[in-house]
Amino acid sequence: MSQTFEPVIIGFLCNWCAYAGGDLAGVSRLQYPPNMRPIRVMCSGMVHPDLVVNALRKGADGVLVMG
Amino acid sequence: MNHDPSGSVLVVGGGIAGMQAALDLADSGYRVHLVERTAAIGGAMAQLDKTFPTNDCAM
Amino acid sequence: MTLSEVTHVSGSLGNFQVTIRQKPRYVDMEKCIACGLCAEKCPKKVDDPFNAGMGKRKAAYIPYGQAVPLKYAIDPEHCIYLTRGKCRACEKFCPTGAVNFEDEERTVTVNVGAVIAAPGFRTFDPQGLDVYGYGSVRDVVTSLEYERLLASNGPHMGHLIRPSDHEEPRKIAWIQCVGSRNINRCDNPYCSGVCCMYAIKQALVTAEHLNGGEVEQAVFYMDVRSHGKEFERYYESAKEKGVRFIQARPHSISPGEKGKGAVLEYVTRDGRPVREDFDLVVLSVGLEAPGNAEDLARTLGIDLNESRFARTSGFSPVAATRPGIFVTGAFQSPKDIPQSVTEASTAACEAARALAAARGTQAREKTYPQERDVCGEKPVIGVFVCSCGINIANTVDVQAVADYARTLPHVAHVENNLFTCSADTQNLIARKIQELGLNRIVIAACTPRTHEPLFQDTLREAGLNPYLVEMANIRNQNAWVHQQDREKATEKAKDQVRMAVAKAALNEPLHRLKVNVIQRALVIGGGVAGMNAALALADQGYPVTLVEKSDRLGGNAWKLITNDAGEPVEPYLEALIRRVNEHPRIGVHTRTTLRSVTGSVGNFHGILEEGGAEKEIRFGVAVLATGARESEPAEYLYGQDPRVLTHQQFDTLLRERPEAAGQARSAVFIQCVGSREPERPYCSRVCCTHSVKAALRLKEANPEMDVYVLYRDMRTYGERERLYQEARRRGILFIQYGLDAKPHVEKDGADLFVTVTDPILGRPLKIPADYLVLAAAMVPHDTADLVEMFKCGTNADGFFTEAHPKLRPVDLSVDGLFVAGLCHYPKPMDESIAQAGAAASRAAVVLARDEMLLDAVKSFVTEKCDGCALCVDVCPYQAIRLDTVEETGRPTRRIVTDPALCKGCGLCAATCPKGGVMVHGFTLNQLEAQVEAALGKAV
Repeated sequence: MSQTFEPVIIGFLCNWCAYAGGDLAGVSRLQYPPNMRPIRVMCSGMVHPDLVVNALRKGADGVLVMG
Repeated sequence: MNHDPSGSVLVVGGGIAGMQAALDLADSGYRVHLVERTAAIGGAMAQLDKTFPTNDCAM
Repeated sequence: MTLSEVTHVSGSLGNFQVTIRQKPRYVDMEKCIACGLCAEKCPKKVDDPFNAGMGKRKAAYIPYGQAVPLKYAIDPEHCIYLTRGKCRACEKFCPTGAVNFEDEERTVTVNVGAVIAAPGFRTFDPQGLDVYGYGSVRDVVTSLEYERLLASNGPHMGHLIRPSDHEEPRKIAWIQCVGSRNINRCDNPYCSGVCCMYAIKQALVTAEHLNGGEVEQAVFYMDVRSHGKEFERYYESAKEKGVRFIQARPHSISPGEKGKGAVLEYVTRDGRPVREDFDLVVLSVGLEAPGNAEDLARTLGIDLNESRFARTSGFSPVAATRPGIFVTGAFQSPKDIPQSVTEASTAACEAARALAAARGTQAREKTYPQERDVCGEKPVIGVFVCSCGINIANTVDVQAVADYARTLPHVAHVENNLFTCSADTQNLIARKIQELGLNRIVIAACTPRTHEPLFQDTLREAGLNPYLVEMANIRNQNAWVHQQDREKATEKAKDQVRMAVAKAALNEPLHRLKVNVIQRALVIGGGVAGMNAALALADQGYPVTLVEKSDRLGGNAWKLITNDAGEPVEPYLEALIRRVNEHPRIGVHTRTTLRSVTGSVGNFHGILEEGGAEKEIRFGVAVLATGARESEPAEYLYGQDPRVLTHQQFDTLLRERPEAAGQARSAVFIQCVGSREPERPYCSRVCCTHSVKAALRLKEANPEMDVYVLYRDMRTYGERERLYQEARRRGILFIQYGLDAKPHVEKDGADLFVTVTDPILGRPLKIPADYLVLAAAMVPHDTADLVEMFKCGTNADGFFTEAHPKLRPVDLSVDGLFVAGLCHYPKPMDESIAQAGAAASRAAVVLARDEMLLDAVKSFVTEKCDGCALCVDVCPYQAIRLDTVEETGRPTRRIVTDPALCKGCGLCAATCPKGGVMVHGFTLNQLEAQVEAALGKAV
């Protein structure tokens, strides 16, 4: 693995907690690596398993489901 | 008490208290005039950095 | 109306004529786009009042970055043109011609039914009081100045530095009660009630503002008053985190070496003099009525009390002395944010009650144009990329993002705006929608959690369905969190825009379902809070069912003699109960409990059990006012000796046998019995004042009696402090004890003795007690059933948890549920009454309409559903049932969803193996499109 490996991570964030937390991290200026691509969902429970499998199949290096 | 009261309310002060009073009244069917002395509403709470006990941002 | 002041009020309740003087702004609000050029070009620097005079702003200014309205103003006291007739730089540079030096003062008269005064407070000014060193020692600041030093939008952008040399302070002291609880120096005998907590907060957050390393915080206090909900835990956590609390009052402050820092001199409790160096000293300044309180009171025709706050009664805490004028916030008495927000709703409630007959006569509903039908149209997407001033633009190359957006499929128009949320940009978006026939909008800006409603409204105004907008959160979840990496942040922003465009292309118009609101309230609990909430709603015209589990109304109030303002409770209580019983719109049900409940806000359906019989009830909102009770002490010989009594028992004795009190030679009060202990780590808030009142009553009956109060911290907050001062003046002895050296109670022969170590003498005192009164903790009634039925929550102590501790203090987390009184947290009667009014006000917001709109994000069934019913059991809201429908001549099984119950969580969609059920706005296709777009595949 090269030194410059930049993983692409798909993040499914629950609107009421993880997404709100993500917003709060911004308000608090907490710094973290820019590799995650956030997708807002109304509940982490709405993330269909197929979405996760397909994301990985299509090239995502990781999937985060946060809720 | 006037028999035919006005359906409007005047709120003096655009801080957290004035704003909340104005919002409640506007949301329950009254017309509200909000009068603020300075150039913007927000009051003293806007000057606070964070609030306890949750340490939320005051904005 | 900003820059405005009330100058005259005539008329009476229901019909006031109010004259308002509006000062000129010199900037046309319609034209100003808040670009900031005027301030940039303005040559005149002014001390910035928002930053408490630290830092500068220009004479052309906005008060602060997030100001509402976000429109500039010109300060006529400092503007060079307005003071000296030359300059007009701002006018020259303003790109929209908004600067208008011809602007003039205007006078407007409005007709209103009621007036609510919420002018706020000013902080105590320690200038000139040498004991605090403020003004003479450079590194002494007020707490408000310190707040600005900490703030990320403050003079040093949240980087904490001290005034003298701009170094980071490592050792900081807070001095409490500056301008409060002091009758010698500054004439503010009351307690400001908020300074202990803000000092603790400042001490705790200080560490976060320093670039690592050690920090030492010391708070010099008289009593720590953490009597609010969750405050005691916060105080304990501060102690655990190493904040020193020193019970001493520094008697002198002098500059440190080379004029940097400060030296405090104080005497410890055991009489040792100490000199200690600090890098920075913060004065915890108290709250005062605003400087113009007298003028305002004269204009409004209301009275002030001796502390210059508005005069009110403990039984109607927001009513000023002139009918139809209500006061709230810190102008009523010094108070914290939750209490201000609560009592703001109380004032709204009282105004609404007074004007109930006129409700809706002057309200204006916003109207929208007919929605354009976009079905069958190909997506035509407009993308608006926000710079958010510099918030986004500093980190993300917004121009590059905008250029990139133009290359994306379906995108017909792209703009970069300084503030996409500004009113002028809203107009621009609406115009572009109409000009270019845009049918999907992408906003790359901040978070949809706060701003989506605004943009949805803009779409509606432009004749588009509001659900055709999609936001890319390039601020909170990008620019703000990747400040060190412009390049990658910009790449991420492009990806986010691509994802949003991909999703927007699949957005469909959605419609919100209307449901009827049952305009009836259920109030649970027939104490003072419940009765007041019921009356407030009934007076506004809404029918109320009041449920009380015991056999009579009144609750704890029956056991009280006076409220904290000294007004007798019994006549008030009797009148209150009479009004409730006689009110045509209140149905009172004693010996009744709620057995079950279904439904949601606007449409609850419950079963009441009244004396064994069940009864159905439908209601739109519920107010929970289930109260609390005095706990039973497990120490100090309680229950073993008849002279050991709780507060309520002692009040009963005083009322029924006043002569008994007169005959006693001594009485001892012990505070914090069962409160502020590890197993019950909260302050019961009411007991300090209660003990002081009872002690005063004894002294009044028999001035010769020896009365002792054994306490940990006296918490007679606000105006209650005057009672504490009165008690000391009358010779009541207050002796402090610590949790590690609690008083000891024993019987010596027939006599009762309390032994406690006097902290000043350092020796045990053995006090004979004819009566020993225990300040037993207040504990909530068991509400497990209600929590289970309504799915609301309680904190670890069993008190109902509000939706937000500061901003929604009487709403519960379940929509349509509100809380009042002791079941929320222990509080004195005036605060329970205020909170009941607040709960009624919030409830009336729901009840004011006969129908309400549900969110459009709901599940829906597709033709792929084959009735396997896997989703039925996973639905947490029982919103799905299995049905049999006739289809092509034969019965087919299908699920049916109930949009009124569905919350749009999508558990069903994730469970369904065949795409038979989806959630509007979050379909599998839409989410899949976002995933693919994120992975670089343009869709």
